[in-house]
Amino acid sequence: MPTATQEDRLSETFAALANSTRRAILAHLAKSAASVNELAEPFEMTLPAISKHIKVLERAGLVIRGQQAQFRPCALDAAPLEEIATWAEQYRPVWESRLDRMDEYVRQLLEAQPRERGTR
Amino acid sequence: MTDENASPALVIERIFDAPAGLIWQMWTRPEHFKSWYGPEGAAIPVAKLDVRVGGTRFVCLEMPSPHGPMRMWFTGEYKEVVDNQRLVYTESISDEHGNIPTTSDTPAPDSHPITTEVRVELQDLGGRTKMVLTHAGIPEDSPGAIGWAMALDKLAAHAEAPDVR
Repeated sequence: MPTATQEDRLSETFAALANSTRRAILAHLAKSAASVNELAEPFEMTLPAISKHIKVLERAGLVIRGQQAQFRPCALDAAPLEEIATWAEQYRPVWESRLDRMDEYVRQLLEAQPRERGTR
Repeated sequence: MTDENASPALVIERIFDAPAGLIWQMWTRPEHFKSWYGPEGAAIPVAKLDVRVGGTRFVCLEMPSPHGPMRMWFTGEYKEVVDNQRLVYTESISDEHGNIPTTSDTPAPDSHPITTEVRVELQDLGGRTKMVLTHAGIPEDSPGAIGWAMALDKLAAHAEAPDVR
């Protein structure tokens, strides 16, 4: 199970992703790195508004920024996405054993009422 | 993603040797749901399943512990209900009144700020049933966790192979 800090980071990642503009920014960055100006282009938004979104993504570790003073291009860092995958996977054994029990229970029900379906 | 199976959502596929109508009842009828859902040794004293879009789901899990039975409460809402075919609901840890602690509250050590969404899809294979279960995390204010997770899945694939469009 993840530690409290990992959980915090995960919820930060989830929160960062819970916004269609930010997801669109990530989709753009998945194809190539881009400057803030380039990222702002497809959106009817001011530069400061876009910058704010990028800062959220940066804090969540989903975007890294270059150091060139003028452009500071943004790039995608997919590592937090892998953490989400790991987080999702921790539920696998829980669900697998639940579904084992469901399977067992359904068999019992059908055996108790063999006429409910034709063949077994 | 480095691992091609890595997905922001958990996906499990199973085939049951039972008709879809019966598998549907496993999810929607409290008396059936209680029989399989809890972990081994647990009981489900409460399962209110108001199975309709916008309806509330409220489940209590009771587990034995050295200090006596420990109860955990979960609540959520049904998002999609298509009889014998598709069920989508959200789930959050709640208190015994069904109140979800908000992320702005001081997080208790075992509080879980993340809401999850569960999608169950059933396909009738003529007496047998294929079930695809998808479980994804969402922040509370986000609609449609699983669509969201799938979009991310594509995004991650893009990130790995940007030249393969």
